[in-house]
Amino acid sequence: MSANRWLATGNFFSSYREEQRIFATHFDRAVFAVFILALLVWPMCFEVSNKYMLVIDNIMIAMVAIIGLNLVTGFAGLISIGHAAFVGVGAYTLAFIARQMGDSHILITHFWPGMLLLCGLVGALFGGFVGLPALRLKHLYLAIATLSFQMIFQWTINFLPIFNQGQTISIGRVQWFGGEVARSDHYLFWYYVILIVVIMCGLAVRNLLRTRYGRSLVAVRDNDRAADAMGIHPGMTKVFAFALAGFFAGVAGGLHAYLYRGAGIESFTLHQSISYLAMAIVGGLGTLTGSFWGPAAIRLLDLQVENLVEWSARFMPANMNLATALKPLTFGLVIVLFLMFEPRGIANWWRIGRTYVKLWPFRY
Amino acid sequence: MRSRQFWMVPITVALLTVMFAVAPSQAEVYKMALSLAITGPTSDAGNPYAKGVEDYIRYVNDTKLLGEDTVQCPIRDDQYQTDITKRNFEEFLDDGIVFYLNYSTGSTQALKRDFDEEKIPVIPASMDAGNLVDSTYIFLPIASYSSQCIALAEYITKNHKNGTPQVAMFIHPSAFGRGPVDDVRKAVKAGLKMDIVEVVEHGKDLDNTAMLQRLMSKKVRYVICQTVQSPVATLIKDAQRLGLTAKTFGEDGKLTFVGAHYTGGNDLIELAGSAAEGYFWTTSYALTSEPGKGTDFQMMLAKKYNRDEKTANSHNYTNGMMVAQTAVETMRRVKQKGGKVTREALFKELNAMNGDNAYSPGNTVAPVTYSPSDRAGVDSVQIYSVQKGVFRAVGEPFAPEYVEKIKK
Repeated sequence: MSANRWLATGNFFSSYREEQRIFATHFDRAVFAVFILALLVWPMCFEVSNKYMLVIDNIMIAMVAIIGLNLVTGFAGLISIGHAAFVGVGAYTLAFIARQMGDSHILITHFWPGMLLLCGLVGALFGGFVGLPALRLKHLYLAIATLSFQMIFQWTINFLPIFNQGQTISIGRVQWFGGEVARSDHYLFWYYVILIVVIMCGLAVRNLLRTRYGRSLVAVRDNDRAADAMGIHPGMTKVFAFALAGFFAGVAGGLHAYLYRGAGIESFTLHQSISYLAMAIVGGLGTLTGSFWGPAAIRLLDLQVENLVEWSARFMPANMNLATALKPLTFGLVIVLFLMFEPRGIANWWRIGRTYVKLWPFRY
Repeated sequence: MRSRQFWMVPITVALLTVMFAVAPSQAEVYKMALSLAITGPTSDAGNPYAKGVEDYIRYVNDTKLLGEDTVQCPIRDDQYQTDITKRNFEEFLDDGIVFYLNYSTGSTQALKRDFDEEKIPVIPASMDAGNLVDSTYIFLPIASYSSQCIALAEYITKNHKNGTPQVAMFIHPSAFGRGPVDDVRKAVKAGLKMDIVEVVEHGKDLDNTAMLQRLMSKKVRYVICQTVQSPVATLIKDAQRLGLTAKTFGEDGKLTFVGAHYTGGNDLIELAGSAAEGYFWTTSYALTSEPGKGTDFQMMLAKKYNRDEKTANSHNYTNGMMVAQTAVETMRRVKQKGGKVTREALFKELNAMNGDNAYSPGNTVAPVTYSPSDRAGVDSVQIYSVQKGVFRAVGEPFAPEYVEKIKK
């Protein structure tokens, strides 16, 4: 390690312990702390409309889900095409309790942190179960197994009356220090909750990757036979990856249900699963930062396309049908372009940018 | 000095009078908004619906129907996704809307709580009776899907000869399709003489031969459809191919197809061609194929704003126009009474729209009536059937009796 931990311009690790640090330099830690502080403080300084607060909350929920998807697809190398269903499992865990006990039951309104955890655990349970075929299946065959789960989930929710046959099941407003979170504070309140969850999930995964469990995921992805030879159980590692992904997805689902104050099947369809996969690819598979960049990029792209369509409506007579073509076109195009020209995703740009800043004014 | 003070008073008064007389009166802008599927699923209905709303609001402003006051109604595409509808709704609230027009059943039910908390009157395109459950601020434009299906069931029982009619229901695999089934069953339980032999939830089948043969083997004579146009088109085309379509209503040994609002319209005739002949359909809207004062106005409006023939004759265009008409009429009434056009005033005025205050927009088969205990606009329905390629009215509009009976 460099003698000066503030101005290190390269990695000079002299022990494994040093390499395992969460922050390589004090400067990194300080920047991270300032960044988190800024995220906590800015809503108090600037007034943001409910619309944009909802967009931001939505992006952060997607980040939690993508952290999970990145674990299973990016780090463990297992393609999951049913991630929205796992998110749905979380949301419907809450919705099921709301339907059975009432949407304003004390469990839902007062013990919401516990409920979020429960959503995660149920998500993990389903994730582990769906991951069981991973003991026997690989590659596309495994992807089909996850796709099957997506289909079964949609069918179950759409047909069972206990899930209101896919129609929205309402969730009551939560309580905070004895008072109900009012409609005017709803999005801001959940901004802080989701932000804390994102930070916790990010740090948890960062830590996981420093442990043997995290390293075993990467080992199995790179070569499961070699991993097996080193004493790692490839099958169990894959099931573990699915369970973990299910946990994060479940928490995201719980947050989604609380934010939207209800759960309906439309938010957890195959289309959403493909969107999640796109976010993971665009963000950068197998990177933690990619889990943050991907959702932000895709969601903001969606919003910008909508704005573009609206703007073009002023001088294009047939504007009504422009969105039909433009949205899927840009979505597909972005994925193809990333796969062709930047398969490592936005996270790679971030890495290059950071390296440049770190080495500046030197080129190497 | 004294004389100067003496002259100052009348001069000031005169100046102030002139100033108030010359100054333009403060024109108000009433904000309402619409979020609907212009693209994505059901956009074939959403597109003309949006045009209906847009044209009528333009007409209101162009012809100064509200005097100097104008109505602003931004229309946003939600692609039939509840998450986007919610985002649009939040944006509209930030803009300060006093009236909101929604679209799908899913999003209406998902935002129900928000409407109540915001105390904002809402008219959705969805006519699902479930929209009214645990809600105060949602007003259906016309009779609910349940009422429409019960009306069709009543029509069947009244016109069927020889015993109890055997009926099947062909429904959309969602709450939109399933909702009315229970209510029709309740009507049967309450005394409506018919047997529901089978309820079929359609998928994306391109061939219904097996299903139609099964219905025939079960001696089914009538099929009540509660879905959208394309599956109905496939169904009736298959029935025509197999020679199973009744030539007259209730023909023995054949199938008579009847359907609720979103199963019919000109799009069905376009999709099904000659197979649509003899299809019975119910809605509360007047159609341009049966010209009248309301439909003349519709055609004029479409022409004024350069809409094509298809849009001008679409019942979804009528639908959009009608909800905009109702919203504007409510504003006009509040204004006429000297009140301020607020959410609360509009809500009160909508609830008072009954009896002598019922509103006749012209393009519905009966007046629009709302009250705190009845938030379905037009309570009567008209049966139409396809004759020589166009929908023609069959009999007079009627309010289904069993709708009230099953409420008790």
